Amino acid sequence: MPRACFKFALVAAVVALAVPAHAELTFSDPWLRAVPPVSPAMAGYVTLNNDGEEPVTITGVSTPAAGHTMLHDMESTGDGSRRMVHLHHLEIPAGESVSLAPGGKHLMLMKLTEVPAPGETVEICFHLKGGKDACTGFPVIRQSQTDG
Amino acid sequence: MRKLPYLLPYLLPLLLAFLLAGCGKQESDLPVNTRLGGEFTLTDQNGEPFSQAALNGKVTILFFGYTHCPDICPAVLARVAQVYRQLQEAGEADQVQPVFITFDPERDTAAYLKEYLPWFKANIIGLTGSLEEIRQVAKQYGVVFIKDQQEQDYLFTHSDYIYLLDDQGRVRKLYPADFTIDEVVNDAKSLL
Repeated sequence: MPRACFKFALVAAVVALAVPAHAELTFSDPWLRAVPPVSPAMAGYVTLNNDGEEPVTITGVSTPAAGHTMLHDMESTGDGSRRMVHLHHLEIPAGESVSLAPGGKHLMLMKLTEVPAPGETVEICFHLKGGKDACTGFPVIRQSQTDG
Repeated sequence: MRKLPYLLPYLLPLLLAFLLAGCGKQESDLPVNTRLGGEFTLTDQNGEPFSQAALNGKVTILFFGYTHCPDICPAVLARVAQVYRQLQEAGEADQVQPVFITFDPERDTAAYLKEYLPWFKANIIGLTGSLEEIRQVAKQYGVVFIKDQQEQDYLFTHSDYIYLLDDQGRVRKLYPADFTIDEVVNDAKSLL
């Protein structure tokens, strides 16, 4: 059946594209900070592990939950202030990890279609150099243990 | 070692003085910061004028920020809420008032703050006002905020200290945004 063959080929292609990306980039402790339902933005945190033998470069992030998702870093200015800067890409060297954590690098979800409530999980995809995607679920947590 | 009995009369007072100094340090009041703070009048989340004098009689946890800030400000709000809950459990929350002052009055209107803040369940008073009024209060507290005019969804470069005020509105201590919950709880209790 040509149609069945086509479907099979399509699934095989998707798997072929998806598996290597996951084999290289894995995720530890993903979470989104719960915010009031009227909030226009929320932040996400995770540790990104590159288990492969080549560097992994993240070129973008997206989620159906937000109209605009960015990687941000926090920069200190001389007067004791801090500001967020847009990271256009993030490289994770082979065999290393990069943490996105409160007060440092983080994901910023803007133009939220609907603010996810605590207990919900939001799928977030990291677009990698080379065209592959690595996706994982971020649970929405009202208060992280790391908040101390 | 043989000399120890002879030295004891000299060593004991020294030891006692050391111990007393240590105890004194724990019990001493937090120093009054005379360079920061002062009277102000802004608008609360009900759209009513709110004077700093209304906080007299309560210990205040004061902090600045803006609700469109995704990382630091919600984290600070969550931490302040934790402080408040611990004080609630200790039966002392009615003597402590968390106050949030926005430096983004354009988006953080009184009506918006009224919708936003109750979610934290910490009885937070939200204050807004004209940009000029807010600039003046920020100056009094040494707060720096600069609007990054790059996009429609603008952000701010800002300082993020948290201020503990005593029941006379005097600044007694500053904390960084990643303050320890127990430290603020204990300091607040020491001022009650």
